[in-house]
Amino acid sequence: MPSSRTIAPEIQYASLAQQGETAQIGMWVFLVNETLFFGALIFTYFLYRLSYPSEFAVAAKDAVLWCGSTNLVLLLTSSLTMVLAINAAAQGRRSEMVAWLIATLALGFLFLGFKGYEYFEDVRDKVVPGLNFEMKPGEAPAGELFWVFYWVATGLHAVHLSIGIGLILYMLLWRIRRGEITPTYYAPLEVVAIYWSFVDAVWLFLYPCIYLVGRS
Amino acid sequence: MSIAAFEPGAEPAADVESSNYLTARNTIASWLLTRDHKRIALLFMASITFFFFVGGFAATLMRMNLATPGGLLQPSVYNRMFTMHGIIMVWFFLIPSIPATLGNFFIPLMIGARDLAFPRVNLASWYVFNLSGLVVLFALVMGGADTGWTFYTPLSTEYANGYVFAAAMAVFINGFSSIMTALNFIVTIHRLRAPGMTWMRLPLFVWGVYAVSVVMLTATPVLAMDTFLLAVERFLGVGLFDPSRGGDPLLWQHMFWFYSHPAVYIMILPGMGVVSEIIPCFARRPVFGYAGMVVALMAIAVLSFFVWAHHMFVAGISIYAGVVFSLMTFFVAVPSAIKVFNWTVSLHKGAILFDAPMLYALGFVLLFTLGGITGLMLATLAVDVHVHGTYFVVAHFHYIMVGATVSAFFGGLHYWWPKITGRLYPEIWARFAAILMYFGFNLTFFPQFVLGYLGMPRRSYTYPPEWQSWNLLSSAGASILAVAYLMPLLYLGWSLIWGRRAGPNPWRATGLEWTIPSPPPSGNFEHTPHVALGPYSYDPERGRYISQDGTSHAV
Amino acid sequence: MLLMAGMSLLTAFLRMGVWAPVLEFTIAALQVAILFILFMRLKGPPSLRWVFAASGFFWLLFLYGLSMTDYATRHSWPTQRVEIENPRD
Repeated sequence: MPSSRTIAPEIQYASLAQQGETAQIGMWVFLVNETLFFGALIFTYFLYRLSYPSEFAVAAKDAVLWCGSTNLVLLLTSSLTMVLAINAAAQGRRSEMVAWLIATLALGFLFLGFKGYEYFEDVRDKVVPGLNFEMKPGEAPAGELFWVFYWVATGLHAVHLSIGIGLILYMLLWRIRRGEITPTYYAPLEVVAIYWSFVDAVWLFLYPCIYLVGRS
Repeated sequence: MSIAAFEPGAEPAADVESSNYLTARNTIASWLLTRDHKRIALLFMASITFFFFVGGFAATLMRMNLATPGGLLQPSVYNRMFTMHGIIMVWFFLIPSIPATLGNFFIPLMIGARDLAFPRVNLASWYVFNLSGLVVLFALVMGGADTGWTFYTPLSTEYANGYVFAAAMAVFINGFSSIMTALNFIVTIHRLRAPGMTWMRLPLFVWGVYAVSVVMLTATPVLAMDTFLLAVERFLGVGLFDPSRGGDPLLWQHMFWFYSHPAVYIMILPGMGVVSEIIPCFARRPVFGYAGMVVALMAIAVLSFFVWAHHMFVAGISIYAGVVFSLMTFFVAVPSAIKVFNWTVSLHKGAILFDAPMLYALGFVLLFTLGGITGLMLATLAVDVHVHGTYFVVAHFHYIMVGATVSAFFGGLHYWWPKITGRLYPEIWARFAAILMYFGFNLTFFPQFVLGYLGMPRRSYTYPPEWQSWNLLSSAGASILAVAYLMPLLYLGWSLIWGRRAGPNPWRATGLEWTIPSPPPSGNFEHTPHVALGPYSYDPERGRYISQDGTSHAV
Repeated sequence: MLLMAGMSLLTAFLRMGVWAPVLEFTIAALQVAILFILFMRLKGPPSLRWVFAASGFFWLLFLYGLSMTDYATRHSWPTQRVEIENPRD
């Protein structure tokens, strides 16, 4: 998109408002697809958990609860900072918007940091199916399915979060720096925010799936 | 990229008056970086044509092999050929065929928009498609996968030797392309309709593509997750489908068919849309029961998600589930039958013109009906146990996917060719090819119904000698079919340079796409059109027709 | 939201039997609903967004519900319960 001019809608839109609204709808349509993507994965989880409740309970005890919980808090907070960034954008408080976006970014990186540490713990705990796995008493053999799910789900979630971080960086370093986000047209930022919150929502579902099983 | 060699549209001479989407800035870069939906449609056309002939080549080898019981190919090569034929034809030709080419080109034109909602996403979709195409070509060149296009576990995860990982990844990446295209269509149809273009004034082709987009958007991610898990399992040796750890191999099939049964409708729904455009135009009659057609399209789209396990009746699923899925499958027949009935009634009292698009459309209706009726036979639990995994199934789905969908694709291509290129194709040759295709198709696949009923299993490189005559008939039909598929490439290519110039509306059709010059200018519409009425206002009694923008014309 | 997260964590440690997961997932669903409606600005026009936000979950019901017709009634499932344990390694 050419910069330095005032922002004009693309040729297929009658107005910027229509363009922005359509972009948001587009993200929602994309989220339908994402819902089904993660939903299908969680379906496999439900199926196996219902079939092997005790094995899953034993296996899931090895999940690092404090990492998962901290990460949940981090992500929820980051959704909040994201919304605050949008409010600032809507009211034209540019430096505040940038500050909130940087806060969101920091929380995202922190999440990945904790996640990385958790993976490190997992490797030490020998719960990496296929590469470094040791059956604990009581979980054989279905407990390994739990850990396959764990790695696939958290791995894909981390990929999504990294894409989210990339999008925020793109907003900060490109769109905002070039003055393309204005109080009249901040839809791109909102699209990113919708995506970011969705990644958060995925974690909200994964959290009880992974960390709260077999604790009592 | 091997695709670039097929760059179309380079031919039109510079003497085409003023500037249209083909002539405006005609450099390689302007094509490869274009955001114009019309150019992207042609890029897709080049890619899928290439893959059609790659997949067709595999089919040729298969039919040559089956001409004699002794065969021509090594059994393992035969396995790889039918697998690659399936994968390429399903994901690299049939699924993008009509939506990504004709849909891409005509959805904005038919709803009065100047482009799709997200042109860059549209272009990205083409690049992702080609990326997945390169991966599948890599898998093919390295020797191919040998699991069948269905990748059933544990064959695919443990026992198969071929490049299953690469093939599965190609399918995974290809999914992103479908999703991007589908997303674009859904948003465009929701948000960018011209003033007055209400939902019930949309041409049925738009409805068909809308229905198909919904299916693509909601089914593809499940397949994506499924293939991802498959890749994990194949790569690490541990996975969710592994029975030795309590996993269920049938779960792969459940999730695979949750996508792949709707995928059959992904292939057929846009074909239904195309035929619903062609039949009223060449019968000069309004389509019978427009609202019924719309409801039937959407009903098929939704019902398609309720029937997947009818592929798994003999796979070991619960008998009660079998009953549920069998019943649901019968329900799909209702909207399908409504559509066939409405097309037929639309012909009644029409002044039918047997131009090439109409021949293809009529062929579609007949082949779809045959494929649909045999589908009901397969939906019946008891019959399915008998013919499951035989050539009966092969013939059934080829009637739907090849007979019907490819007919519709060629019908649409001929119908809109004057609009796309500004040139008329040679009518005699086109009619000849249409009839030849119909004839060749039936000769190829009808014997396979018989073979299947006799019990010949699919995916087998050999068979008892007493079945040779039927197999020979089928192979002979396939060679005729191959000629019929090659012919349009020649005469349509010829027409690019020597074809007569088409006016804006050679078929005297009513859609908005026919109110602008052929080929259309880069921005489609000079002024946003105002839509006054629904499609198909053909009035044979008074010899008039009314375009959707409200202008009335004498025939 | 954080409060609900805490509640969810608490339920995991109380001895509630089968109700613990039910409660946990109810809380998760509520949290997601709040997230969608407030943070992702679902409220307010156009209502089309509601349709799309809901349809993904609606479509998942097809997958869950119809697959369960099989798993709930298939008599050789779960395999490991039927064939006694047969771990490969």
